[in-house]
Amino acid sequence: MSKLRPSHEKKREVRFSEWMDGSVDPYLGNLELKPQELQKESRQQFEERIRDYAQLNADLYDTEKNKGVKAFNLIYKISSVIWILLLIGVMLLTVSYLPPNGGADNPANNEVTERYIEKGLQETGAVNIVTGMILDYRAFDTFGESNVLFIATITVLILLRKNKKMHNEFDMKDDTDEEKYEPKSDSILQTVAKVLVPVILVFGIYVILNGHLGPGGGFSGGAIMGAGLILYCMTFGFEKTERFFTENTYKWVCFTALTVYCLSKAYSFYTGANGLHSHIPLGTPGAILSSGLIFVLNICVGMVVTCTMYTFYAMFRKGEF
Amino acid sequence: MIRIILSSVFIIFGLLLFATELYGVNKFSFIMNRMHAAAIGDTLAMMSCMTGLIIYSGFNATSLKLLLVVVFLCFSSPVASHLIMNLEVETNEKADSHFETKHIEETEQDPKEGLEE
Repeated sequence: MSKLRPSHEKKREVRFSEWMDGSVDPYLGNLELKPQELQKESRQQFEERIRDYAQLNADLYDTEKNKGVKAFNLIYKISSVIWILLLIGVMLLTVSYLPPNGGADNPANNEVTERYIEKGLQETGAVNIVTGMILDYRAFDTFGESNVLFIATITVLILLRKNKKMHNEFDMKDDTDEEKYEPKSDSILQTVAKVLVPVILVFGIYVILNGHLGPGGGFSGGAIMGAGLILYCMTFGFEKTERFFTENTYKWVCFTALTVYCLSKAYSFYTGANGLHSHIPLGTPGAILSSGLIFVLNICVGMVVTCTMYTFYAMFRKGEF
Repeated sequence: MIRIILSSVFIIFGLLLFATELYGVNKFSFIMNRMHAAAIGDTLAMMSCMTGLIIYSGFNATSLKLLLVVVFLCFSSPVASHLIMNLEVETNEKADSHFETKHIEETEQDPKEGLEE
């Protein structure tokens, strides 16, 4: 390290080791990337920020005049700590009852997988074992997932949706300007999208309907259909999508899909738990109209996922459908 | 035997194109040259490899699905490259020093303007 020639910095090995360490970014300076500037805050800005924060707190929670808020804050902090400790205790207690990790006699290693593999086709009627597990043995879990998607969309709607009543004239004028100057879509993209969008939508429907026979299902097929809708909206604008997809469409499709899922699964849980004979025929395995409720549930999940994806896109881009 | 040789010729040609793509993307310093190199890999190399796999698999359902993938990529990836390049042309701050742009003037007039006048 003591006697190094000045030319050693340009050697291939040194540059390679520098690149490996990450001390030198080889792209910086060679490409048209710009290094990100560090955010610098002057003394005055810092003081202003601190003062604003203090004033905001004082305005919101006027603790000196309002003794009730102060007491509530104290109780809130103490009760949150107690609640979290209680939760940790319950979790640890539950963990202590679990079988040891990796034990050969654990039920997960023997009974559950055996049952799924040996009796899955007979009990669910789905050739695809994974779909049979997701939508029959663990249908409750999938119902929760669909509801999570629905709740996430509703949260995005609450946060990002434009309220037309709240807008004054100045804002409305701004909006129209923005739409006027939005770059017009490319004619090459429009020509290609005319061909591709129907193909993508049909492929998505195929994946949803084929869920119990092969790889696929509601989630993946819904994602494909949502991508097709987003491509259509990107190319032709919101005017064209508003003809078939508005807020009411979203509401009713999601509501019907989740209700059908809930009711049909409630029927099968009720009959299964009470040992009654279920009246839904399982059909011949391998046929497209088979496996009883799984076919319906796949369609419901697919509808919810499609609507969720498109609504996310519309909300983040424009704030309305 | 002939089928295997033919398919391997196609796949090796595609892999060579992928190698040129990787070399070009890492070698060039200007974005348009890099995009040109990347577009070669996206279109021709991918289609050549897929054609090799179709020939290797023979005439059955798998090769039909691969053919659909080729058709889909043939439509989508050139358009994706075109859109990225379009964005670069529109947003480059030093556009005049790098390349010259020819804006195609719209010959069709808006019918509404004529009515108002």
